[in-house]
Amino acid sequence: MTPNNSHQIISNEIHDDDFLNLIENSLAIGSWELDLMSNNLKWSSVTKKIHEVPQDYIPDVNTAINFYKEGINRNKITLLLNQSLESRNSFDDEFIIITPSGKEKWVRAIGYPKFENDTCIAIRGVFQDIHDKTVKANATALKEKQLRTLFNHSITGIAVLDLNGNWKKINPGICKMLGYTETEFLKSTYLQLTHPEDRLIGQKELKLMLSGDIDNFQTEKRYLHKEGFDVHCILSLTIVRDYKGIPEHFIANINNVSEIKDSKNKISELLDVSSKQNDRLLNFAHIVSHNLRSHGGNLDMLLKLKKEEYPNFTTNEYFPLIEKAVENLNETILNLNEVAIYNNYENKALEAINLSKYTDNALNSIKALSIKNHATINVKINPKTTIKGIPAYIDSILINFLTNAIKYRKPDINPIINIEAIRKDNKVILTIKDNGLGIDLDKYGDKLFGMYNMFHKHKEARGLGLFITKNQIEAIGGSVEVESTVDIGTKFSILFDYE
Amino acid sequence: MNNTINLVCIIDDDLIYTFAVKKLMKMNAFSEQFLIFKNGKEALDGLTNLHKNKSTFPDLILLDINMPIMDGWQFLDACKNISLDISSPLYMTSSSIDEKDKKKSKTYDMITEYVEKPLTLDSLNKLVNQKN
Repeated sequence: MTPNNSHQIISNEIHDDDFLNLIENSLAIGSWELDLMSNNLKWSSVTKKIHEVPQDYIPDVNTAINFYKEGINRNKITLLLNQSLESRNSFDDEFIIITPSGKEKWVRAIGYPKFENDTCIAIRGVFQDIHDKTVKANATALKEKQLRTLFNHSITGIAVLDLNGNWKKINPGICKMLGYTETEFLKSTYLQLTHPEDRLIGQKELKLMLSGDIDNFQTEKRYLHKEGFDVHCILSLTIVRDYKGIPEHFIANINNVSEIKDSKNKISELLDVSSKQNDRLLNFAHIVSHNLRSHGGNLDMLLKLKKEEYPNFTTNEYFPLIEKAVENLNETILNLNEVAIYNNYENKALEAINLSKYTDNALNSIKALSIKNHATINVKINPKTTIKGIPAYIDSILINFLTNAIKYRKPDINPIINIEAIRKDNKVILTIKDNGLGIDLDKYGDKLFGMYNMFHKHKEARGLGLFITKNQIEAIGGSVEVESTVDIGTKFSILFDYE
Repeated sequence: MNNTINLVCIIDDDLIYTFAVKKLMKMNAFSEQFLIFKNGKEALDGLTNLHKNKSTFPDLILLDINMPIMDGWQFLDACKNISLDISSPLYMTSSSIDEKDKKKSKTYDMITEYVEKPLTLDSLNKLVNQKN
C-alpha cells in the first residue's frame, strides 16, 4: 500500500485527501489502520502528530503498543485489539500514552475490525487527543470529591436551600447538630427548625440577597434541637445565582457555638463570684483598717492611762508583757493597713512621673542611712525618662529597695548600689543592684515577696517591705523580678510603663 | 499653757474610747466637764437644745466618723441644713487612715482638723494649744 491510499480507511465515499486532512486537523482526530494480512500499521498525519513523532515516522505493531503506558493502559489496548479480531468487537476507550519526550498524554482510541470470509483482515480506527479535556475533567472530579468529603464530614452544618427555604440537600453535620435523621430533617422547613424568637433574624438580608444587593450575610441565631433545647449558632448564608444572575438557591453554613456560649456564661459567673469575693475582701480591708485599729487604739490608750494613774500596777511582771503584746498588736494592724489601703486606690489615676527626679528625692530621704553606712550609689537614669505611676507609690518603692540594699549589706565591705533605667519599647526597666548579703532564691524565691517573710535577722526587718513594694508596683501596672547570689548581691529589675 | 477648756463634747459610739479620752483630759487637767453623744443624731438634737436653752456650748468638739444612725459626715451635713451654729473648734477623729476620709475632711469648713485615733497626750496637747 502507498500512503496515498490512506484515505480509504476512513471512507469509501470521500476520496478527497485534502478534505479528509482538513477534517482530521480541525477535530484533532487522526486515523489508523492495521493490515493483518501484511501486519502493516499505518498512521495518518494527525495520528502521528498526537504521538508527537515526525511525519516520516513508520510505526509497527510493537512500537505502537509500546506507546501505551505500561500497566493497565498497555494491557487494555492489547486485550481490546485481540478481542476485536477474534470476536468482531469494536472498541472505544481512553488511554494514557507516553510520547517520545516522556510526556503522559490522554488519548481516545476507537477501533473497528474488518472481516472478509470470517477472517479479520484489518482493524481500522480513529485516534483522538483528549488530554486537556481529561485533565480538566479529572481536576473537576477531584474538586468535586474534595467538596463532597468536606460536605459529608464537616462538623459544620452545611445545607442547600431552595429560594422558599426548603432544604434541598443537607450534610450529616447539620443532622447531628440538631439531632435529626436526614429523612426527618428534609421533611422540616428552615423556619420550623429556627428558634421562634429568632425567626425574623435575617429577613431583611434575605431580601437584599434576592434583589442582588448582597451575596452573603452572617448572623447569630438559635435553632431547635430535636430534644427541644436551643442550639446557639453562627449562620453564614450565601446566595447562588446562575450565569444570568438569577437566584437559584442558598447555601447555609451553620456553626454550633453553644459550647462557646456556655463557657462565656461560665466565665461571667466566675467573674461575678470573684467580684463578690473582692467586695468581701474590700469589706475585710475596711474592718482591718477601721475596727481593728479602734480596738487596738483603745487598748493602747487604756494601758497608758492606767500606767499614769496607777503606777503601782505596772511593776508586776505581767504589765510590761501586756504592754508589749498591745504594741505588737498595733504594729501588726498598722502593717495590715498599709496592705489594705491599696484597695482604696481603685480607679487610681496614674500620673507621669520623672524617674530621675524621684530617684534623687529617694536618695535624699535615705541620705543619713547611706552616709552612716558609707554607701556608694551610682545612678544612670536619663533625666527625661518618665513613667506612669502614683507619686506616693514610686516614693515608697524606691525608698524600700534602696533601704534594703543598704540594710542588708555585707558587714565587711561598704555597700555599692547601682541604679540604672533602660527604656525598652513602651516600658522602662529600672535595675537596682547591690553587693550585699544576697538571698538564697532556691530556698526563698517563692516567698521573697510574701507577707511576713524575713530572710535576714536584722533589727529593723519586719518582713513587709517587699510585699508592699510588689503590691505597689503591680498596682501601677508594673512587675518586678529578682536575681540574687548569696554573698555576691542582689539585683531587682522593676518594669514600669513608659509615659 | 492655758488649759482652760470649759466643756468638751465627744460624739462617738465607742464607749471605751470616750472613757479614755475623758480620763486623759482630766488627768492632764485639760477639762473637767464633758458632753457625750453616742451618734450624730443625738449630738444634733443635744446641741440644738443647748442653743435653744441658751446653755453653755462646748468649746471643743471631737467628732467620730463611723457611727450608727447618723455618722460624722451626715451630722455635719445636717448642721449645715438647719444652720446650727458651731463656732467652736471641731476635730474629726477616726481610726480610718483612708486618704479619702482625710481629703473629704478638708472640704468641710466646720472641721478644724482631721485627727487620727488613738488620741495620745501629744496629739491632745497639740489640738488644745491650737484651740487657744
